[in-house]
Amino acid sequence: MDKDFIARGMQRCSTGKFLLWLFPWVALLIFGVYSAALCLIKGLNQTNMDNRFAFGAWIFLDLTVIALGAGAFFTGFLLYILKMKELKAVINSAVVIGFVCYSGAVVVLAVDVGQPLRAWFTFWYPNVHSMLTEVTFCISCYLMVLLIEYIPIVLKNRKLREIPSMLVFEHELHKLIYVLAAVGTFLSFFHQGSLGGLYGVLRGRPFAFREHLGIWPSTFFLFILSAAAVGPSFILLTTWLVEKISRKKLVPPEALRLLGRVSGMLLSVYVLLKCVDTLIWMNRTSMVRGFVPAQYYAFEPFGEWVLFAELVLFGIVPAAILLVPKLREKTGWLVSAAAMACCGVALNRFVQTIQTMALPTLSFDKFLMYTPSWQEIGAFLMVVAYGVLVYSFSFRYFELFPQERQLRIESAAAKPQHETAVGGR
Amino acid sequence: MISENKGNKKARYGMSIDVDRCTGCGGCMVACASENNVAPANPGANDRKGLTWIRVFKVDNGQEYPNKRSVFVPMMCQQCGEETPCYLACPQQAVDVDPSTGIVGQMPERCLGCRYCMAACPYHARYFNWWDPVWPAGMEKTMNPDVAPRMRGVVEKCNFCHGRWHAARQKAAASGNRVLDPADYVPACVEACPTGAIRFGDLSDASTEVARNSKTPDSFRMLEKLGTEPKIYYMSKRQWVKEIAEAPKLTPQKEPARG
Amino acid sequence: METNRRDLLKLAGGAAVGIVFTPVPWRLITDAALWSENWPGTPQPAHGPLTARYTNCSLCPAGCAVRARCISNRPIGMAGVAGHPLSQGALCALGLAGHQAPYHPDRLKPASASAAPVAQAIAKGGVAVLDLRPGRTASWTYRRAMAAVKGLYVTAPQPLPFAYNLSAARTVLSIGAPLIDGWGTPGNVLRARAGFHLIQADSVESRSASLADTWLRINPGSEPALALGLAQILLQRKPKAVPAGMAEAAAQMTPARTADATALSEKEILDLADALFQNGPSVVVAGEAAPEAAALNALLGGWGQAVVARQEAPVPESWKTAAPATELASVPDGSIHTLLIDESAPGDYIPWGVIAKKLARGSSSVIVFSWSGTGYARHANLALPTAVFPEALDDLPAPADSPAAAFRLSAPLVEPPAGVVNPVEVIAKAAGIDASAALRERADAIHKTARGNLFRYADGVSTPVKDLKPEDFWNALNEGGCWIDTAQAGAPPLPKWVPSASAAGGADLAVTIVERRFAGAPGSPLMSKVYKESNLQLGPNRAALNPATAAGLGLADGARAALTTAAGSCEIEVILDPAVSPGALEVAAGPEVLDICGAFARAKVVRA
Repeated sequence: MDKDFIARGMQRCSTGKFLLWLFPWVALLIFGVYSAALCLIKGLNQTNMDNRFAFGAWIFLDLTVIALGAGAFFTGFLLYILKMKELKAVINSAVVIGFVCYSGAVVVLAVDVGQPLRAWFTFWYPNVHSMLTEVTFCISCYLMVLLIEYIPIVLKNRKLREIPSMLVFEHELHKLIYVLAAVGTFLSFFHQGSLGGLYGVLRGRPFAFREHLGIWPSTFFLFILSAAAVGPSFILLTTWLVEKISRKKLVPPEALRLLGRVSGMLLSVYVLLKCVDTLIWMNRTSMVRGFVPAQYYAFEPFGEWVLFAELVLFGIVPAAILLVPKLREKTGWLVSAAAMACCGVALNRFVQTIQTMALPTLSFDKFLMYTPSWQEIGAFLMVVAYGVLVYSFSFRYFELFPQERQLRIESAAAKPQHETAVGGR
Repeated sequence: MISENKGNKKARYGMSIDVDRCTGCGGCMVACASENNVAPANPGANDRKGLTWIRVFKVDNGQEYPNKRSVFVPMMCQQCGEETPCYLACPQQAVDVDPSTGIVGQMPERCLGCRYCMAACPYHARYFNWWDPVWPAGMEKTMNPDVAPRMRGVVEKCNFCHGRWHAARQKAAASGNRVLDPADYVPACVEACPTGAIRFGDLSDASTEVARNSKTPDSFRMLEKLGTEPKIYYMSKRQWVKEIAEAPKLTPQKEPARG
Repeated sequence: METNRRDLLKLAGGAAVGIVFTPVPWRLITDAALWSENWPGTPQPAHGPLTARYTNCSLCPAGCAVRARCISNRPIGMAGVAGHPLSQGALCALGLAGHQAPYHPDRLKPASASAAPVAQAIAKGGVAVLDLRPGRTASWTYRRAMAAVKGLYVTAPQPLPFAYNLSAARTVLSIGAPLIDGWGTPGNVLRARAGFHLIQADSVESRSASLADTWLRINPGSEPALALGLAQILLQRKPKAVPAGMAEAAAQMTPARTADATALSEKEILDLADALFQNGPSVVVAGEAAPEAAALNALLGGWGQAVVARQEAPVPESWKTAAPATELASVPDGSIHTLLIDESAPGDYIPWGVIAKKLARGSSSVIVFSWSGTGYARHANLALPTAVFPEALDDLPAPADSPAAAFRLSAPLVEPPAGVVNPVEVIAKAAGIDASAALRERADAIHKTARGNLFRYADGVSTPVKDLKPEDFWNALNEGGCWIDTAQAGAPPLPKWVPSASAAGGADLAVTIVERRFAGAPGSPLMSKVYKESNLQLGPNRAALNPATAAGLGLADGARAALTTAAGSCEIEVILDPAVSPGALEVAAGPEVLDICGAFARAKVVRA
């Protein structure tokens, strides 16, 4: 019955099957909403955070999700500003992923603060010195941009196009896309940087504190670069995953390889700069403040292996794979390298947030660990379920991959009668 | 706050704490909570989720008996004077540094509860209201009307008993004075300390005891190298005690079991 | 002109833009912020005129002087009274929030319970009153009442026959006493501290051990052995006075044996004796159940100087026919039919088993007067709620570190809640004596001697009593004052040698009780700051173990466990602390723990 909403020429699974796919995610969403409601109604005592571990799993996951969601702005930047036309194949999907990541992160942030009703105070009494003010402004604005970018994708839906005024609106919006891409890129660059600055400015936490370039710490720039590097990798990874789950060819392989190549190039620049930054931090920034860097790695489980994993295993290795054209040709290598790059940025965000909190600053502090409570995990799963649901609906009813129809015709011509229309969704 | 003090001499309030005299009785912690309307512990609270604007730690020299020595170190907001980490962190100006007193203030009514200031503070001197504050029936009658109680979900910390500062100023103003009488403005922990280990006063006035104490060779400040210019000066004649102000040692120290 | 939809839309749009330039939206936003500041359920403390009132804290026997900051006469903050001859301006954590004690959730709720059973029991006979804080005027009333009804007035234990004058001491040996942590009058000890060298013999690194000049870590339970060993060495130096029977008792305790028992080296013991002998006057302060240590004082140079005869404030002549004080230990087992316990003025907590032994089998009843539901009320047939500091009028005997007699009142600062009983009134009435003006009578008796000075808290002025009218003396005592005798106390009579119960041996963990302050009085709910919201002190029902010991027992940090001694079992929370000796157990005092851990107890700890 929902067939009328599915774009012409697209093959999607039956309604029943789609509902079956939705069921576990909806269940997860309900559980997550319950967890989040507990935190909002009973207060943050529902979490395992405490006065020393004031930031916990949510902040780590938020930072990771936003870094991964950077694919949206960076793909837009590559497509509209640098004119890499191949990326038209993934841009819609990238926008949806960006939207999901950012809106999800904002929802978690709203649960994470003690008095969510006062969230607007940041706009009313902004502290211009605070990195968090910068983050709040940029994320709010960029979420708006993503929403506006998402609308044309929705409006292209077959049923909605039947309404003439919607068609006009969509056309007008489309003219804006270059402006939006430029604004979005600027905002996104800026707030990825602010998120990096969030920890880099913490003078009281010498493990996180970094040298400043102008008013920003080096992490400001490293976060931009790392987000730009793994954003395309994440788009690559999700596209591949959607292809696997839906058992359809969605984008030409060149598009994915291009994403991989861009990711590899940026990743190698990032890792290089990260190494330089680490050396400066170890030999100067930290030492000047009386903190011997070896001490940071003296507490189990955070040994030197963390640094090795972050820089080499999930940095240099995936960058190298992505830079070798022969390896890029092979989907296995390409996808694995993209996944490793994503893990690398997640580890970096983990180190910045969790390890910073765990390490002692005073000589008589304890090294602390914390395990998130089920409410914290639940609230985050809510966002995951929400993301999967939004993406599933978007994939079913909107044209996330404009070349899907073309690719289907081509493959049907090559292998007649082979593909039956049993997509995962 | 700034306009109120126009034309007045600027003060720089600070403390000196003689750790050699601290007996770890905890009187300052209780007096502080009583003065500042900090609620008793929630049944679920522990030493990581409690509210203790001032907290006394027991710190040892890391050696075994008979060479083991311990001291008690009261830790509260160190009232950083430069690059104040929490002030720079707060996204919505819920933290301020009063230029007329040098006191780092916290406005819980403005606080969003994002806890970024807590992440920024190297002294862990900021506390979050994880629960709704609850006073046992009748105990609200013992609350101090000069201090507004806080609500769940906001951060609070030592502000050198701002209520007392305000009362002292009002008293001074009522008698036509522009400078408040030091005897009228004494934070609760200073008043409570049975050994006089904690002293309070204007660091910018060389005649005060704290100003003199801050310049003795025995005085030191916690994590001074971070460059935040804290205004709490600790004092000890013992070298190993002075070293607790430094960054954690290379080898993970034995965890202090109490404190 | 015709208005169409477009015009209306234009108007609305224009209005929307225009309103931004008016104060309305901005004002609304500010008001919304104000609204969020009034979080529901947060109390709003009431304002009122600020005054200072003075009294003496009666939460523990030290009775420190208190200046209460009051709003509309309600105390909202406590502080010491500067210049006070005994408490020296200091207050402990318990006292600093003493005004909140009435609101502790463990307080016995004033109910409709009637005091009639007290009168019935007294009429029946075979009654005894157990007084936990002897030496008060109330104690005298109990003695008079018991004399009238032929009952027994019981204390446990009797106050020491001597008092310490720490300011005259140059060396202080504390054998397990919490000397800098609540012993005597904290302010007085801290003031005298600068003048003496403190040697703390303690099985755990207590706060006193941390702050001592020398800490000697001895085996738990070896306190009597150390005292005896020191006596053996000191006896060879021909002391002027030797308590009867001491030489015989100490003869066997050679330095080698002492070293064996205490885990100190022979040299350490000899050095300790030298330090006490050469750097006098020296005094020995003992913790619980170490009469040997108290008697050691007679062998040291401080007898008559740093250790003087204990003085009690004068009482009216007519009271002297009162019943004598009987020590609980000397009451025959199973002899008390009705036991009245006055826990409204808590002192040392006596394990319940010790008291229960004295009760007649089968038909006995126990009536407890208390404000706390956590103490003896748990064992009582009837628990009558009483007032608590600062609701009740009581007086405080001179503490162990006051060389002169003293008299001061704990005058109430707030009204007690309806339904509480006054144990003195109830018992006196039931015994048919009139004691309603006992405190005034005693004040008059003191005034009649024309000795001593009255220290007034409000102005810090000391006035000779002979310059005051009786009425003024009484009023000053009620408004915050302290009478201190000027009569010189002489050397106390030589104590008799009383050996303490020997330490129990065995493979179980040796128990050291710490934080005795929590035992008698729950105090303010804010005490949670020092033991629950921080780990500064060991909280009630928490036990610290060496990590190695705990590992052997399969106990992790924070584990719940059962503490079992010969006398019973209770639940505790385990805390790992490398400062505790292997094989030892440090437990915070609390009624449940003290009920099962007497002196030198040994215990098993099993994971719950």
